[in-house]
Amino acid sequence: MPTTLIDSPVANVANIARALRSTGSELVVTSDPDAIASARSLVLPGVGSFAAARSWLRQHRIDDAIREAVARGGWLLGICVGHQALFEQSFEMGTTKGLGLLHGDVTRLAGPLPVPQIGWNTVKLTGSSPLFDDIADDSSFYFVNSYAASGVASEIASADYSGPFTAAAQQGRVFGVQFHPEKSSAAGLQLLRNFVACK
Amino acid sequence: MQVIPSLDILEGQVVRLVRGEFASAKSYGEPAQVLESLQVPRGSRLHLVDLEGSRSGRPIETEVVRRLAARDLSVQVGGGIRSIEDARRWLDCGAVRLVVGTVAATSPQLLSQLVEAFGPQTIVPAIDVKDGVVRTDGWERESARGVDDILAAVESLGIREVLITDISHDGLLKGPSFGLYRQIRSRSDLNVIASGGVTSVSDLISLSRIGNVSGAVIGRALLEGKIDLERARAMIASPGTIPERIIPCLDVRDGRVVKGVSFTNIRDAGDPVECAMRYEAEGADELVILDISATDRDTGTALDTVHRVADSLFIPLTVGGGVRTLDDFRSMLRAGADRIAINTAALRRPELIRECAEEFGIQAVVLSCDAKRDGDRWVAAVRGGRELTDVDVVEWCMRAEALGAGELLLTSVDKDGTNSGFDIELLRAVSARLNIGVIASGGAGRLEDFSEAIESGGARAVLAASLFHDRQLTIGQVKQHLAAEGIPVRRTF
Repeated sequence: MPTTLIDSPVANVANIARALRSTGSELVVTSDPDAIASARSLVLPGVGSFAAARSWLRQHRIDDAIREAVARGGWLLGICVGHQALFEQSFEMGTTKGLGLLHGDVTRLAGPLPVPQIGWNTVKLTGSSPLFDDIADDSSFYFVNSYAASGVASEIASADYSGPFTAAAQQGRVFGVQFHPEKSSAAGLQLLRNFVACK
Repeated sequence: MQVIPSLDILEGQVVRLVRGEFASAKSYGEPAQVLESLQVPRGSRLHLVDLEGSRSGRPIETEVVRRLAARDLSVQVGGGIRSIEDARRWLDCGAVRLVVGTVAATSPQLLSQLVEAFGPQTIVPAIDVKDGVVRTDGWERESARGVDDILAAVESLGIREVLITDISHDGLLKGPSFGLYRQIRSRSDLNVIASGGVTSVSDLISLSRIGNVSGAVIGRALLEGKIDLERARAMIASPGTIPERIIPCLDVRDGRVVKGVSFTNIRDAGDPVECAMRYEAEGADELVILDISATDRDTGTALDTVHRVADSLFIPLTVGGGVRTLDDFRSMLRAGADRIAINTAALRRPELIRECAEEFGIQAVVLSCDAKRDGDRWVAAVRGGRELTDVDVVEWCMRAEALGAGELLLTSVDKDGTNSGFDIELLRAVSARLNIGVIASGGAGRLEDFSEAIESGGARAVLAASLFHDRQLTIGQVKQHLAAEGIPVRRTF
């Protein structure tokens, strides 16, 4: 079963594609809503602003396609802004509605540390999930973000940056990770391998 | 670790003395007003020095202590406490702790009487150390007793905390005396209040990592506005979960890794892809590729190298060398780089930093600055260190941050390739003025150089090239050393 990587112009698709391929997964890179709607295993990448990512998804009717894939029992992994897009809304530059596949809001990182967070951070497992199989608690992952969800019911891992935030979430077959697994060396590749193995 | 504001009091005013001379006292005003302007919250611990008391050997500024204690501040006072009666007067005024200097070094008998009368938690012995030797009486006299001797005596009285001031001149240029506090940790269970040399929040974070440092006294840095108390306290309170990074650097020319001393005498050191993969496996947190041919020649080969390395690398990749325009920047990102270091082009046209930050985000923009010492300052060098400008490095880096640089790669041209340690003064001068992270580069030789760059230099990442190429040290060894020193690292060993 191939993994379908959504070919978003507001994402670092090439890097994620390289990382997914290195896990041995067969890969389809597409922005075709029909192909996305029928996918069994979907990856939604994203960098930059929430509003830009969200508006691209809506314009190309990819948001509905993603919902349909999930309703049909497909597996979904959102990465960085792709993870944020899974929640109900974000307060980056006003309020923007998300896909609403996960409960909770995305808010700005607040505190003394410089924003955006750029770099490695330690991730604590707060729930059990196949996504973190064979990954040690307190492993480090690479983050680039100014916003994050925090304390959501679907949280499976948290990190701390001027306060705790949600590093990874899972609700049924929908996963999201705030960090960049494709830049997180062995731990990141293991996480992608774990997602690809979900069937 | 507590951050303890410190005020020197003379004639009821907050003052600072230049070279210890009373005639030179600069006044900052009434203590209560000073504390308000520094936003010292109620309940804070406060360190007061009664300067006249210290000179005359009897309590003078009792009214100041009385007023501050009434404002719900936990005052510790020092200066001229030479008897039980002096001590009682201060406590009657509302002081919570007494800082005793000379007594601790010279009169063990009085020290034990003070502890007996007021309890060990009330007495904080203060020890001035110069080049490892204890000093007494306003730094004039050398004590007959060594640091260990005095600490052992203090500990046997049930005292938990001592205030240590390093008064060596060299120490001040390199910040607090981290080495001295570590040494004390290995020999004594006492907690240390560190005094002297703190000029930045980074110094406070480094002190808090040592383990036995329970407090840091800050005076001058606070009065001069170099440290924001609220921010400092928040940063220290946040857990140490953000690892400091070790970054190997590949200097690449015409598609091959090369190495040289001070940018000259260049020789071949291997294939970039092989080197990159080896470094990731060894635990590198990021990789920097500097194309040192690009400033002189075209960037086509460099793009190809980046593309090949990015294909097999799963850690962040920073690329620098010859990036002159937004298009160059975009091409490098497309080739697989995560972050781009710009140097000469930004010096020529600083607006390039802003344009790149707006187009690609500040996380993608790294300012690379080659610094050369010029008297008591540093100037930016260009063309791989071959040419000097008259641009002041500290000012330039601050401007680059304001324009949108997300991180700074700071290379000492003087130290590069020498393996003789980083230019700690350069790192301190720059990192103390920036909010963005500094990557220390140029001079790595020993394990201690890495910890010093982070601890004293305030760097958030350390870069090395030849050291790792030659396998004089491995990344794993460096990380183990940092972890043993209490510095958080991404564990890959």
